Amino acid sequence: MTEARYYERGPIPETPEPKQRQDHWTATKVVGQALPRVDAYQRLSGAAIYPSDVNLPEMLYGAVLRCPHAHAKVQSLDTTAAEQMPGVRAILTAESPGTDIPWQPESEGPASVLFDSVCRFEGEAVAAVAAATPYQAHDALRTIRVVYDVLPAVSNPQAALEPGAPKVHPDGNSSGEPSTYERGDVNAGFDAADAVVEETFAVPFLLHTPLEPHGCVARWEGDKLTLWESTQGVYNVQSQTAAALDLPLSHVRVIGHYVGGGFGSKLAIGKYTLIAALLAKQTAKPVKVFLSREETLLCVGNRPGGTMRLKAGAKRDGSLTALEFEALGSGGAYSPYGTGLFDWQIRDLYNCSNVRTKGQSAYINAGEERPMRAPGHPQGSWALEQILDALAEKLGLDPLELRLRNLTTVSQARGGIPYTSTGFKECLEEGARAFGWAAARARPAADGALVRGVGMGGCTWIAGAGGPPSTAIVKYFADGSVNLNMGASDIGTGTKTVMAMVVAEELGVPLERIQIEHADTGTTEFATASGGSKTVPTESPAVRAAALDCKEQLLVMAAADLETPVGDLQLHEGEVFSSRDSSKRMAVKEISQFQRRRTVVGIGYRGPNPEGKATCPFAAQFCEVEVDKLTGEVRVLRFLGAHDSGRVMSRLTYDNQVYGGIVMGIGFGLMERRVLDEKQTGKMVNRNWHDYKIPTAMDVPAAIESLPIEIQDLECNTTGAKGLGEPVTIPTAAAIANAVYHATGVRVTEAPINPTRLLELLAAHDQRRA
Amino acid sequence: MEDNHRKKKNAAEPGVTRRHFLTGTGLGAVGLATGVPAVEGDTKTDSAVVIEAGQTVPVTLQINGVRKRLLVEPRWSLAYVLREQLVMTGTKLGCDRGECGACTVLVDDVPRYSCMTLTLEAEDSKITTLEGLLDGEELGDVQRAFAEKDAFQCGYCTPGQVMAVEGLLRSNPDPSIEEIRTGVSGNLCRCGTYPNIFKAAHLAADMKRGRGGGS
Amino acid sequence: MLPNFAYIRARTKQEALNNLGSEGAHVHAGGTDILGCARAEVFEVEKIVSISRLEELRGITRSSDGSLRIGALTTISEIAQSPLVQESYPGLAQAAGDVASPQLRNQGTLGGNLCQRPRCWYFRGDFHCAKKGGDLCYAVEGENRYHAILGGDPCYIVHPSDTAPMLVALGAEIHISGAAGSRSMPLQDFFVLPDQDLSRENLLEPGEIVTEVLLPGASGIKSSYRKIRERGAWDFALVSVALAVRMNGSTIAEARLVLGGVAPVPWRAEAAERALIGKQPSPSVAADAAAAAVAGAQPLEQNAYKVLLAKGAILESLLAL
Repeated sequence: MTEARYYERGPIPETPEPKQRQDHWTATKVVGQALPRVDAYQRLSGAAIYPSDVNLPEMLYGAVLRCPHAHAKVQSLDTTAAEQMPGVRAILTAESPGTDIPWQPESEGPASVLFDSVCRFEGEAVAAVAAATPYQAHDALRTIRVVYDVLPAVSNPQAALEPGAPKVHPDGNSSGEPSTYERGDVNAGFDAADAVVEETFAVPFLLHTPLEPHGCVARWEGDKLTLWESTQGVYNVQSQTAAALDLPLSHVRVIGHYVGGGFGSKLAIGKYTLIAALLAKQTAKPVKVFLSREETLLCVGNRPGGTMRLKAGAKRDGSLTALEFEALGSGGAYSPYGTGLFDWQIRDLYNCSNVRTKGQSAYINAGEERPMRAPGHPQGSWALEQILDALAEKLGLDPLELRLRNLTTVSQARGGIPYTSTGFKECLEEGARAFGWAAARARPAADGALVRGVGMGGCTWIAGAGGPPSTAIVKYFADGSVNLNMGASDIGTGTKTVMAMVVAEELGVPLERIQIEHADTGTTEFATASGGSKTVPTESPAVRAAALDCKEQLLVMAAADLETPVGDLQLHEGEVFSSRDSSKRMAVKEISQFQRRRTVVGIGYRGPNPEGKATCPFAAQFCEVEVDKLTGEVRVLRFLGAHDSGRVMSRLTYDNQVYGGIVMGIGFGLMERRVLDEKQTGKMVNRNWHDYKIPTAMDVPAAIESLPIEIQDLECNTTGAKGLGEPVTIPTAAAIANAVYHATGVRVTEAPINPTRLLELLAAHDQRRA
Repeated sequence: MEDNHRKKKNAAEPGVTRRHFLTGTGLGAVGLATGVPAVEGDTKTDSAVVIEAGQTVPVTLQINGVRKRLLVEPRWSLAYVLREQLVMTGTKLGCDRGECGACTVLVDDVPRYSCMTLTLEAEDSKITTLEGLLDGEELGDVQRAFAEKDAFQCGYCTPGQVMAVEGLLRSNPDPSIEEIRTGVSGNLCRCGTYPNIFKAAHLAADMKRGRGGGS
Repeated sequence: MLPNFAYIRARTKQEALNNLGSEGAHVHAGGTDILGCARAEVFEVEKIVSISRLEELRGITRSSDGSLRIGALTTISEIAQSPLVQESYPGLAQAAGDVASPQLRNQGTLGGNLCQRPRCWYFRGDFHCAKKGGDLCYAVEGENRYHAILGGDPCYIVHPSDTAPMLVALGAEIHISGAAGSRSMPLQDFFVLPDQDLSRENLLEPGEIVTEVLLPGASGIKSSYRKIRERGAWDFALVSVALAVRMNGSTIAEARLVLGGVAPVPWRAEAAERALIGKQPSPSVAADAAAAAVAGAQPLEQNAYKVLLAKGAILESLLAL
């Protein structure tokens, strides 16, 4: 099951259930407020040390020689000249001892090694150098002579599956049997339909491009390794590195206090991690390996593109009778997950008894996919939300109305178990109201070159429930200040801020008196990587439990001093008081036992999710665009995101996620695409930020509105939070496509939408109408 | 490696003339491990300054009101020198090819990409980095506005965004929304926080004007 | 990372010229293009000759005859923000303001903007293409959505400059200095098509530098620049339209229409100009001119949209007169 990969990687080591009974918050004092981040000072002053900022005494710089061909065999490799270059301290090749390391042995994809003699994608690692300066390291790389046997390459999944296609792997290019799903009777469903629409869609391969490049600094102290890695999960880096280098987990310390973006591409280690460790070992010096921007575009992940065919049928009243979906994609040269979760929206979001999906993945000579913000979902949403609009038009229904007629409260893709909560209906209705949907939709079309239109889309996200394991520790100091210890990374979503607010809520400690120790395998507790919109729903209950454990210990001690039942006592801002007897109060620091002990340590665990239920976030997004029919330019004028992600834990970071997801979706909708030189070399031609275009400040509306749909979810976990970071980017591009259709009458089924595609479609449309 | 006398803000900087370039003045103070031997350059004043490839020469930079002397190779970018030689890592490096803006610094009050600026070209100029906007340990106006409006997520593009806004406000104290957009259009934010950056720039402009302008 | 190079800081123009003659020597003004090319190893850079401190090459001045002199080291920002330019040559202010990003406009110079190397991803990438001495223009069979529809053969780059089409439309003259002396020519004649010389985009000889651009007086001239790109900043033109017209009452007395993004040089659409002169602006006149401008276009597989786009953008520019 490809979906399992994204929300449960192997057996999950459960953490114990929390000891304390945790009532649901009714009113909150801190949680949900719009408070500046607890690490704002660090991030704004330059005090935050990102892994790429680490600078150690005698540190060397590593650089990786990469295969310039899409497919080639290394015939020979000569480092003689490089060894003589100024500043060079170490060179690693496939011949170097200790480099024969299996690469990604746990993957379901084909096997490989650190320096594989067959390079199956451009950018594959061939050798590495450590030198005194990064300039010298690159000088040395330029002198390494490699003779390649250049092999034919295949660059897209369709071509890869044709007979006679160049073989990426000896066994061919199929990534295995297609993944299929079926419920009900799809043929009968289409027979029963009053309207059927069918369309083929295409989406390009997209790239994460976080601002901080991938990389790490490695330092050995004897047989113990410390890594400062730009990562979303220090424990992933620890376990993968320890396994690759055959080290005890205790001998690999990974520190990732800050990370300059990841979006899924930094959930796992890269070859650079092991290369840095090996170079550091060989030179007995710390080594810094950070990739160039070009390298990050070639070989540290992408969001698979592909083609999709979607057929939908509905009754006259709009109720869906059947959905049939087929996708073809690629996970690159090594990942079999080329269409992973493409079909999830189709299977789960709208009520439909008869659904059939099929996903086929092929290997191609290109970099491997890595999960990218809502894996598979934006691709499937591009098809589903557009086909629904087409269906609505055919039925004479408003697109919003069609969606409202196909709501469900159960997760159909999971066998019909209920959601712990769903605010999808409210997202659609309240979002539409706040956006002014009905009025905008009814506005008569302009007759000039500049035309406007509005569009929308809905979504759910497969994960977003979070779950065990997680352990957090809250340490309450003698003066009432607090240390929070947790393993999770704050990838920019505000994890630290949210968790500090949870502690503040329970212990009545002001945020500025809370210090957080996190993302360090040497000093903090185990946490899964921050990704999949599961960090807040995973960590916040554990942190809450730790705070409650701490509080209970303090109150028990105070109860002895105050000679009052523990159940009557409350804690706020360093004071314990009885809710029944106002004379019973004391400062925490005066609690006699506490005075002797100096600290109280509370431990919290993330308990299990409810059985037999699904917890998912939901959203509806609405936008208005302006299209210049003479030039094909599309301008997004405004956007509104109505999101049900359960409790709003922190209003500022919540809204910021919504803005950010929409901005990334605008990139997908209007400009982003990886371009390979398919017909010639198979090499990537746009491996930089000028040719691979992501949105700038000029491309996004200042008017993006975040409308939280705060549905109380009493079952999902003890804070009531659901994930947010992925759903915010799922329906965005499709909503833009629907708005462009509304404005122009042209349905753009292949992303992105800009003059390079839209103008010819507009011309063809005009011709048909003439 | 650096002079300890920190200059008072806005005080006139000591003139560093072209003659300082390649004269021996910096040699006594250099000592950074560059892996390349220092070469005493041509000190003739009547012809063009010539530095051979791979040679290092002493250079004096004025960064945030402090004079720093160090050895540089001709090809070393200002971003590299700031981050890896001076370990002033408030300045970030996202692309090293002038496309993302994370390395933005002010050179004589004007925003530039330090990754596309040779260090030798920045000699004689007043360089301001993120660290230079701090007032002691307090955040400067633009930094405080960014905190208040949550104008960042991962924070890696943020120093560049802050410097772009600072540069904008130094030349245009009361920018319109379109001027703000344009002002930060050379700074990519993959987290997509642009709407909050716009708000922060407005707030910072208000804050600066509120105190009679000037930084 | 940048490869090794020698660095020469010229203190006089003559010093610069003395040092630029040798193989592998390249001029550094703002540095944004030469450093990018050096880093990507588009060509060998052995020696960088910095002219950035030659104050004599900087600045915008108006002469008594109304003409405008823009020194080659004037930054793009300075041009965009110059009241003299904004007032008399609004199209040029617009074009300069549309260049790349604020930081690059602050750093990049007019000379550099005119002489920057093309942005073709094969040329800039590690492809040994025809322009770099190889056998093949990869764009012919390859990924050519951004390439030329006019004047391409045998190399389908497009000229990347925003200021160049506008300056050609405004009738600018370019001044060049070399060891052998100075020369000047109409800017339009400065650019060369690949069938004339595949290896370069203009007539600048090794050892020469651009010193200034001279604009004739703009009395009675209306100018505009319209750039269409895939994203709103730091992007080169898919198509741009530089327009300069002189009206005589309600009829067009003089017109220059130059396209960017469609050809290896700023492409003067003389047929379109002929279709305009002596006419009163109207939708049908504009449509005729737009059609004439792209009449000879020969799109590659992926860039036929540029024909439509050029027509649409020309139409818009003319209707805005």
